[in-house]
Amino acid sequence: MRAPRLPARLLARVLRNDPAAPAILGDLHEDFVRLAEARGRIAAGLWYWREALGLAAVRVAHGLTRSVRAASAGSLGSLFEDAAYAGRMLRRSPGFSLFTAAVIGVGVGAATTVFSVLKPLAFDPPFDEAHQLVWIQNVGQAGDGSLSAITMRTLNLIDFRERAATLSGITGYDAFFSSRSWTLTGVGEPERITAVGVAHDFLDVLRVQPLVGRGFTEEEGRRGGPPAVILSHDYWRTRFAGDRSVVGRTLRLNGEPRTVVGVLPPTFDFSSTFTPTVEVDALVPFVVSADNNFQGNVLALIGRLRPGLGPEAAQAELSAVVHALGQEDPERWGLGARVMSLRDHVAGPFRHSLLLVAAAAGTLLLIVCVNVSSLLLARLPERAREMAVRKAFGARRPRLVRQLVMETLGISLLGAVVGSGIAWVATRAVRNAAGIKIPLLDAVQVDGSALAVAAGVAALTGVVVGAIPALKAAEGSEADALRSGGRGSSAGRGAGRLREALVVAQVALACMLLVIGGLLTASFRAVLDVDLGFEPAGTVAWSLHPDTAFAAQPNKVSFYERLIERVEAVPGVEGAALADALPLGRNRAWSFDVVGVPEEEDTEEEVFPHVVDPGYLPTMGIPLVAGRNFSAADHADALPVVLLNETAARRMFGGARQAVGGRLEFWGPWVWEVVGVARDVRHISPELGAGMEVYFPFAQMQDFGTGELIVRSSLPPDQVAPAVSAALTEVAPGMPVREHWSLESRVREALSERRFALGILTTFGAAALLLAAFGIYGVLARTVAERRAEIGIRMALGATARNIVGNVLRRMLLLTALGIAAGWGLSLLASGLLESLLYGVRPAEPVAFAGTALVLLGVAALAAALPARRAVGTKVAEVLNA
Amino acid sequence: MSRLGEFELLVLLSVLRQAEEPYANRVREDLEENAGRRVTRGALYRTIDRLVEKRFLAWEMEPSQVPERGGHPMRRLFVTGAGLAAAREARDVLVTFLDGLDPVPGDA
Repeated sequence: MRAPRLPARLLARVLRNDPAAPAILGDLHEDFVRLAEARGRIAAGLWYWREALGLAAVRVAHGLTRSVRAASAGSLGSLFEDAAYAGRMLRRSPGFSLFTAAVIGVGVGAATTVFSVLKPLAFDPPFDEAHQLVWIQNVGQAGDGSLSAITMRTLNLIDFRERAATLSGITGYDAFFSSRSWTLTGVGEPERITAVGVAHDFLDVLRVQPLVGRGFTEEEGRRGGPPAVILSHDYWRTRFAGDRSVVGRTLRLNGEPRTVVGVLPPTFDFSSTFTPTVEVDALVPFVVSADNNFQGNVLALIGRLRPGLGPEAAQAELSAVVHALGQEDPERWGLGARVMSLRDHVAGPFRHSLLLVAAAAGTLLLIVCVNVSSLLLARLPERAREMAVRKAFGARRPRLVRQLVMETLGISLLGAVVGSGIAWVATRAVRNAAGIKIPLLDAVQVDGSALAVAAGVAALTGVVVGAIPALKAAEGSEADALRSGGRGSSAGRGAGRLREALVVAQVALACMLLVIGGLLTASFRAVLDVDLGFEPAGTVAWSLHPDTAFAAQPNKVSFYERLIERVEAVPGVEGAALADALPLGRNRAWSFDVVGVPEEEDTEEEVFPHVVDPGYLPTMGIPLVAGRNFSAADHADALPVVLLNETAARRMFGGARQAVGGRLEFWGPWVWEVVGVARDVRHISPELGAGMEVYFPFAQMQDFGTGELIVRSSLPPDQVAPAVSAALTEVAPGMPVREHWSLESRVREALSERRFALGILTTFGAAALLLAAFGIYGVLARTVAERRAEIGIRMALGATARNIVGNVLRRMLLLTALGIAAGWGLSLLASGLLESLLYGVRPAEPVAFAGTALVLLGVAALAAALPARRAVGTKVAEVLNA
Repeated sequence: MSRLGEFELLVLLSVLRQAEEPYANRVREDLEENAGRRVTRGALYRTIDRLVEKRFLAWEMEPSQVPERGGHPMRRLFVTGAGLAAAREARDVLVTFLDGLDPVPGDA
């Protein structure tokens, strides 16, 4: 395992004169490896960055103070003097001070925002001793995107609890909760709520203390135990107006009375931690007993390690337990255990975006540093005279350096204030952004540690950007400075070169951010352009949860048929259909056998089952490829039939035509005949191709209790929804109907991680572009100002306006082109980090590279326009007389 | 204790306590676990440097085979004769000043 290279190199550079440096790097490396084992690579990596940068900063600061102290035998008094002097200097040029502070504020704001967003995910899930928590998942087939490949049977939990000594507690929740139906009645209008079944010790293992009331008791977790419910903080606040006396009251859920025993605290939001796409309103006990094992792989398990142990200890033990259990009962299926830290599980899928966003913030901060450095350098010639005078009066160099650094520090502190403000606004925007579903977003805030980061980053920026110009300003003899200060540019020549190099660096970094932004935008558009296989536009969906009176099969079918009939009669409705799982929503898998294929050739593959009615394919806009659709003739007493998707037809039978007439066995006693093949649909996510899918007719399916109604209409959803809701209430008076959504919103949610990364990258890219433009403008303006005399002479000697403008523009072009070339190189290096976020775009996509170059050249031309005009406007006589 | 600050004394004693492994990381762990204080890396290295400047501590680099160190060497710390003398002196001062007080100073 290797520590992050960049901070290690930086530290090595800072320590280059320290003979103990190799050992210090080794010490850090050793702790890094230990931490990575205990808390995962991300946390360890971040820790390493912090530690290395902290150490480097301490060393640099120590070196500076030591030299300053040695030189000026600095009393505290002179420090105050310098501070006061710096304050006066800043007030004397308020425009410059405020502008520089604003630039620093942009960088500090970006860094602080990203820190605040990443903090809960990367180091700090909102649980007590969160590093002890582990996620225990099943070992499904590699690459299998289905949820049941990672969930557990109830017996696994029981056996693990009994045998695992490395864990002080193991608990679980029903991972398929979103497909179970809960209707709250008796408090106003009937309402569908989302409740998660959890083992009774769920809150104990996570160490979550309810805000009001208590967690579940062991008795409540038994079959037939007292029915109880715990409300989520949000639901309690919105539905019961935060009334504490609701604890102890009885609510009717699915017609059964349940006692409210507690309310979750605001710090624990189940959905934002475990299921960012599903809002959760309440917790109910899940019965953990052997007689619940029949439900199959439904539980997601979470364990708490005993103090001092890491996930690998639990992994070793559970692997042995799984092996032993398999030997005791060779028939047992669904056994397996893979242990990872809960933090890695929650943050894992977002790791790449988070790293990218952090890297982008770092880049922006670097641009800011470069920008401010060049702003300060630009002021050198003005300050050189002042410095020379002070030197002539006996001021020593370290004192001058200290004073100049003081000035930049003052500006940076102002920048920290601006940056904290930006971060405060930005984190609120991220937290409240609709359509972004990133875990733990609710916990994002600018807290004390974020403010400390802002101040630290600003101070570091101040020292780093202030040190070089300060050293530069204080060097050279006073005679030189006094002589060249009057006219011309010789004092600024060295500084001028440096400033041009800084502009090239800014353009290069901005170019990199823009290329990455461009690649992400292209990927986003590629994903939007993906043929999902169905038509999300113009559809609205409702979750249907008829009450238990419809549990018996014939009733259910005729009830749904009546309902569809009534909905289709609503004006504006072009089609209505039923399904138990719409795309980009639920996720599950069933095993199957192809009739006629010998057992040994049979693979362990699974299919995604859908239960649909005959209207489903046309309403969703899914074309039929072969055979026929379901019809009214496929009723409960008819021959059992299914439809396959193209992938299933190809993998099971070798093609769509061959599949029609084929026969399949699922876990039931029946054989199902394939009557048709539908086109593939992107069910799991827009980026993932289709797996094997099977459609069952709802009239023939036994366990079709609740479902989703999908309505297609040419009217906007807001217009058609109330009429459909009214029609539903007419058919099923007690059914909650308020909640509906469009398939387009589902698609949007499925893209939220992309949207998140893209949004931040584009904002940073725009800021970088603006800063680069300022940088180019600053340098050219300064060059023109410095060369006024030269330009004046040349114009006097017959140079045309064209020549002069050409000169300025050539300089600009050269700098920008160099920057773009360097930026392209950087982008190619950085695209490795991006690969997992790119879709349908190559990391070296020429369009993104060329487009970025055009944008930068355009902006550079704009930035150069004003200085060029000023150069042309130079009055010969005025200059020569000056 | 005039020649040694409190933290310097603790570091010096901790180096003496690490019989087999007198390395900075072990010293830091010892101080965090047994002296009950948060020790930042920067402060510890600075203190070691200062003790070396005062000639109370010396060190030599030795190659390390521990895989966690990623090939970096280790720094073996020694307390010099002057360091031992300073530690003894500090102890004597403490003992003198505690002598005659209640077992827990301040308790009646």
